[in-house]
Amino acid sequence: MYVLIALGLALVYGVMKIPNFAHGEYYLFGAYATYFALTSFGMSPVLAIIFAALVGFVLGAVIEKLTFSPLRKRNTGDWVTNAFMIGAGIQLIIQNGAQLLFTANYLGVEYLWEGGVQIGSINVAYDRLVAFCIAMVTLVVFWLFLKKTRTGISILAVADDETGAMLMGVDIKKIHTLTYALSCMLAALAGGALLSVTPAYPTMGTAPNLAAWFTVILVGVGNLSAVIVGGFMVGLIEVFSTYIFGAAWQNVVSLSVIILILLFKPNGLFGRKQKV
Amino acid sequence: MLKLENVCAGYGKLDVLWNVSCEVDDGEFVAIVGPNGAGKTTTMRAISGMIRPKSGSIIFNDVHLENKTIKQIHDLGISFITDEGNLFSGMTVKENLEMGALSLRDKGKKKELLDKVIGLFPRLGERLNQQAGLMSGGERKMLGIARGLMSEPKLMLVDEPSLGLAPAVVLDVFRTLKGLTKEGVMILLVEQNVNTTLKIVDRAYILENGAINGQGTSAELLASDYIQKTYLGIE
Repeated sequence: MYVLIALGLALVYGVMKIPNFAHGEYYLFGAYATYFALTSFGMSPVLAIIFAALVGFVLGAVIEKLTFSPLRKRNTGDWVTNAFMIGAGIQLIIQNGAQLLFTANYLGVEYLWEGGVQIGSINVAYDRLVAFCIAMVTLVVFWLFLKKTRTGISILAVADDETGAMLMGVDIKKIHTLTYALSCMLAALAGGALLSVTPAYPTMGTAPNLAAWFTVILVGVGNLSAVIVGGFMVGLIEVFSTYIFGAAWQNVVSLSVIILILLFKPNGLFGRKQKV
Repeated sequence: MLKLENVCAGYGKLDVLWNVSCEVDDGEFVAIVGPNGAGKTTTMRAISGMIRPKSGSIIFNDVHLENKTIKQIHDLGISFITDEGNLFSGMTVKENLEMGALSLRDKGKKKELLDKVIGLFPRLGERLNQQAGLMSGGERKMLGIARGLMSEPKLMLVDEPSLGLAPAVVLDVFRTLKGLTKEGVMILLVEQNVNTTLKIVDRAYILENGAINGQGTSAELLASDYIQKTYLGIE
């Protein structure tokens, strides 16, 4: 699931050069949307997760149109810094808005799909299996979308050379909004699918946001295919550090690993040299 | 045909172009020559819609371009090949060419264009699956022009194709462009390399300090005292 969140983050950075620190908040949207779809509207888990993805997509598009799109028009200074500030602002607003609307209580469900399966001596809950399958299927579909459709190829082209894409007749504004919306959709999907593992609460976005940043920094910013590998690596590092050193040390271990890697490979594990 | 009338343009508060007027007829190969910083690239940017002119008009086949977006201008059949190339360096040569034909929906037509473009630049045909960022400067220039051709433009704006190329390659590129004009494509070329340019193009404008400071057919300009003194170093 880190993979989906990190992929969205890498996509938004690659295409729009936005270091999106509000990215974890779309994970929160997904969790709340799924929770209310399940409890208030009585949807089935599958529908609820699809609903969450849609909510993420729409909110992402709206937020992009309200914040980054006008900024792009007026921005004269350092775009990355300004975009970072906006992201941090969105994060504050959403976290506090969620607390105001839904209180600070944990809103979770015990399970989306009851039961589990015995693999050797480990009992794996269906929820986690399904979450894994959702992540894999989404990855494949998304990858095909990027590589095979006109819109997907346009997104990659904008990430590669924005001016070039513009001169090929790509509608940049449309691609920006769509990219942001898709990236939010991926995060919301993850939030929804993991609702039984992580309940919805106002600051729930912080941890996955950090994990996604670890992933993107680890593999090298703007490298989409490597993000998938990186997502698994960060997931494994976190699981092992929790297992060996205890949960409190999880971030310490992950960050230490990243600092070590960056000391020796400043562009990230699979990062290309920056163009001069 | 393309017609610029008293175009003024610039960046922010900085004015670069002052009342620039010029025109390109169907099938004509026209160049704008002049020293570095004269506003040649700015002229191209104004035509392609990357910047908006502050005043004056730009008319292409009876359509005003001043308030159109880059996409609209592109879809009218204007293809801008920048001096940097703006290639998709992470994509292969073939993917780059296909991006050029992005607005075409007909697959057969796309294939036909691809074959035609490869016919013009056989070197690209041998390297279809190579990553564009790993090619030599000359090959990248060719790819830039080839990609620009994939949208079947009526007008090509070509910015400094000679920049960073070996003289023999420059001639090659110019000859290919000349061949295109015979098919009715208009070409507006921007160059610092005055000598070679004037040997190939039909007409040229001299742009200095943001204003047109002379024009004429290539033969007239090559023979003029001013050009010989200022650009060709002949006393």
